[in-house]
Amino acid sequence: MPARLRRFDGWRRLCAALLVYLGALALFSVVVALKGGNPFSVWSTMVRSTVLAGPTLQETLLRAVPIALAALAVAVPARAGLVNVGGEGQLIVGAVAATGAGVAIGASVPGPVSWLVMAVAGAGAGAAWAGLAGLLRTALGANEAVTTLLLNFVANDIMLYLIYQLWKDPKGSGQPESRPLVHAAQLPRLWGSQLNIAVLVTVAVAAAMWWLLRHTGWGFALRVVGGNPEAARRSGLPVRRLLLSSMLVGGALAGLGGMLNFAGLELRLRPDITLSFGYIAFLASWLGRHQPVKVVGAALLFSAIALSGNGLQLTDGLDGSIVDVLLALIVAAPLVLTKRRRGAFL
Amino acid sequence: MNGVQQALIGGIEGGTAILLPALGELVGQRAGVVNLGTEGCMLAGALAAFAVAAVTGDTWLGVGAGLLAGAACGLFHAWLVVRRRADQLASGLVVWFAALGITSVFGTGYIGRTATPLATLSVPWLSHLPAVGPILFRHDALVYAGYVLVGAVWFVLFRTRVGLVLRAVGERPAVVAAAGGHPQLVQMTAVIVGAGIAGVGGAQLSVGYVGNWFNDMTNGYGFVAVAVVLFACWRPAGVLAGSYLFGVALAAASVLQAHGVAVNQYLLDALPYAITLVALVVVARRGGAKAPEALTAALTNGAA
Amino acid sequence: MQRTPRSRLGRVAGALAALAVVAAACSSGTKAASPAASPAASPTASPAGPKMTVGFIMVGNRNDYGYNQAVYTASQAVAKAMPDVKVLTADNVPENTSVTQTMQSMVDAGAKVIFATSYGYFSYALAFAQSHPSVTVLHQGGYQTGAFPPNFGTYWGEAYEPVSLGGMAAGMVTKSGKLGFVYAFPISQTIANIDAFELGAQATDPAAKTYLVNTSSWCDPLKQKEAAAALLAQGVDVLTQHQDCQATVIEAAKAAGKYVVGYHYDARSLDPSGWLTGSAWNWAPVYTDILKTIAAGQFTGSRYNANWVGTFANGDNPLQPASFGTSVTPSMQAKILAAYDALKKPGASVFEGPVTCQNGTVLFAAGVSPTYAQINGINCLVKGVVGTLPGS
Repeated sequence: MPARLRRFDGWRRLCAALLVYLGALALFSVVVALKGGNPFSVWSTMVRSTVLAGPTLQETLLRAVPIALAALAVAVPARAGLVNVGGEGQLIVGAVAATGAGVAIGASVPGPVSWLVMAVAGAGAGAAWAGLAGLLRTALGANEAVTTLLLNFVANDIMLYLIYQLWKDPKGSGQPESRPLVHAAQLPRLWGSQLNIAVLVTVAVAAAMWWLLRHTGWGFALRVVGGNPEAARRSGLPVRRLLLSSMLVGGALAGLGGMLNFAGLELRLRPDITLSFGYIAFLASWLGRHQPVKVVGAALLFSAIALSGNGLQLTDGLDGSIVDVLLALIVAAPLVLTKRRRGAFL
Repeated sequence: MNGVQQALIGGIEGGTAILLPALGELVGQRAGVVNLGTEGCMLAGALAAFAVAAVTGDTWLGVGAGLLAGAACGLFHAWLVVRRRADQLASGLVVWFAALGITSVFGTGYIGRTATPLATLSVPWLSHLPAVGPILFRHDALVYAGYVLVGAVWFVLFRTRVGLVLRAVGERPAVVAAAGGHPQLVQMTAVIVGAGIAGVGGAQLSVGYVGNWFNDMTNGYGFVAVAVVLFACWRPAGVLAGSYLFGVALAAASVLQAHGVAVNQYLLDALPYAITLVALVVVARRGGAKAPEALTAALTNGAA
Repeated sequence: MQRTPRSRLGRVAGALAALAVVAAACSSGTKAASPAASPAASPTASPAGPKMTVGFIMVGNRNDYGYNQAVYTASQAVAKAMPDVKVLTADNVPENTSVTQTMQSMVDAGAKVIFATSYGYFSYALAFAQSHPSVTVLHQGGYQTGAFPPNFGTYWGEAYEPVSLGGMAAGMVTKSGKLGFVYAFPISQTIANIDAFELGAQATDPAAKTYLVNTSSWCDPLKQKEAAAALLAQGVDVLTQHQDCQATVIEAAKAAGKYVVGYHYDARSLDPSGWLTGSAWNWAPVYTDILKTIAAGQFTGSRYNANWVGTFANGDNPLQPASFGTSVTPSMQAKILAAYDALKKPGASVFEGPVTCQNGTVLFAAGVSPTYAQINGINCLVKGVVGTLPGS
């Protein structure tokens, strides 16, 4: 194709992209109008109530932590061509393991020790959970998209079993919840704000993943495997080990996310601890094209959208769940745009 | 009536809300499209059915609305994945979130209201059979629809030309296209019909079994339906078994408690998922050849 | 393989971000120019502006015919009765850090008082009060006492007393002698309610038994339906429940032609003949009184800066008997109302000894009239209740 034409094509695509995104936003405005809201003022409400107000901006950042890490847990295996739909379950087992460790030792060791032990426990549990699906895939050929999805439910049931029975706080309110994490074991706050160190850890981890995927042999090998596993095998790459390693690393990230959310924010294990973060994270990774920096950006965007439900309820009198529609539309836009080349037909 | 019977009765009632969407999902997956948005299509069907039933007083009109709402939801997914070639899993989750939001927002006014649920119909003669009679033949009509649909889906998929084409599309769409067929059309139709059946599954929940609407009332059953299809190795009989297995496990927790038996519900709840995992592994060991090839391709991350 | 132009998405994202910033800038600009156009300055605002903004946070849907609707109704009554109070509401807020975020949004919107109305909000509400000294935070569910910060309190009512009246009605109409109780979590208030319901039923049918099923959710219609079905199959002919939403259980009883005793909200209209009676929250007087205390600057050190419990004896129990259904004859009503009057006497309680646990141990000896704290510390089910508490 001549260069001039290709450039023209690029511009056309950009215009199409803009139109689709604007269409998505317009569609959301229509839904808002149908519910009696002001389709124009909602946007300023959303921006003001999530990023322009200092304290709420902190909440946006805090909520982005588990979403971002679970999204990276999708992104890393995706580089190797694996589909990890198990962010939800990996977040849960991470939080469960961190609770077990933190509640057991939190009162008897200095804070940094319990942070470290909780992080290792959470990441380890997440890695084991994702690794199980990875192993089922590499050793037995079971599709990992399916097994990770199923393991989400098993993880949730295990957590509920524990907080209903073994770990139930005897001095608690009677609702199923674990004992609280003692103050010394809680993640330290930053500069007297509501933020805690989890936010910095997330940024550091995302940067590390960017570097690992982009500048190391491992990252390159993953890409090769993801691009063409057959060619990778022929060129002598240990494909199975690479696939498994991507799941282990991904799971560890999500497990760490579950731990940070527990030790920094929730401080007790409760039934509602994840709230579909894992599934939102899947979409975030997808929206960010599985590239660490963009993935984290998408997680931040989704966190803000989720939180903007508060502003919409309080200021515009809308149902807070309306933000789920916006979230869907934002991801639907690139889905509409992709004419992805896929395998066998047409 | 003893507890086992009660658990089986409850399992079939509640299991129907898994069976219907799972059958719909089976049709789609056989054509090579997985719909994680089944959960959302059920929600759409549940709300539409309840709203129409509550407003008109006609429950069957409601079921029809549930079918249409599910199909509309399927159209969205089908358009994205078949026409726009979007990632199937991402598109499914998008459909789920969209339906979750829309049904919550537009369903608020229906919460707390009740609709006349579908009547229990006892099948003459059969319902008086010892033991199995009350378990199988004293239910609302949608439960029987589930029985019939299992046979119908099997017949269409494996004994008709339409089914042959559909399965061929799920395996080698390019071959169908080369033979002058329209794989995209087949896939679109399969996904829309499947989601329509899922919508009826949602209707079974809202107007068939429970008799009211609540936001997010499907509570993950749509995801279970997707899992059941895999558990079943893409066979209608397996879908039937898997759905009722989940249904019975759910019902057993309540029945055991009503008999004063202490039970940890969560280990019981986890059991069907664990069984499904084992079943998957067994299938995979046997070669996994039963999975439609186009589906396997779709579940593998092509783009990165 | 990687033919998708990466830069495209980046460009789109950039354009979007720019668009968002511009939109925000524009809209805030127009806002400054014409405040009348913004929904925040709604017509209810007087020229001087409301003196106090109050936020109410609910765990479930405001139209649930149950717990949350009772809160919502009362919040709107407060808005009407107190013209200088501006009311904000947020519903469907789960019991996790989401509630912290919602409280923060309310404070950003000017709220000085926040009512966090779900039981499981306690620790979040307390922490928020500690980090926001200028905001008064109230938790609805009052189970914990102790040294609260000067801007925090929790409140509740002697719920079990009206619940026992519902148990009396159930005992009067049951033919099988089996009553069903569907509950969410084995929290102390629910245990007290289950026991009170059974004790009330025994007052009118000494052989009555209460069968338990738990759903582990404040509102999950499918589980409620399954629980109700299991109980009905067990021969139960009166259902009651302790969850936030109650339409499912009422519908299940109605479909089976059985009776129902309500909780949280008067839902007689859903099934007038199957509805016996129940208990319904009337929160408006409590909210109003708390707000007046705060407005007068007397909250700290007041009875609301602690664990406040409304009682029949003091005439301020927020949980009141609901209306009677058509199946409850005037003579039955008279008997229940007489018991109601008796409970208003100081020291009177449905838990007046002797009360024994399932396993035969004495819970309260004859002649003992336990305190609210004692009753909320009960961790056994009384004799006549069939079932066990999960995790115990």
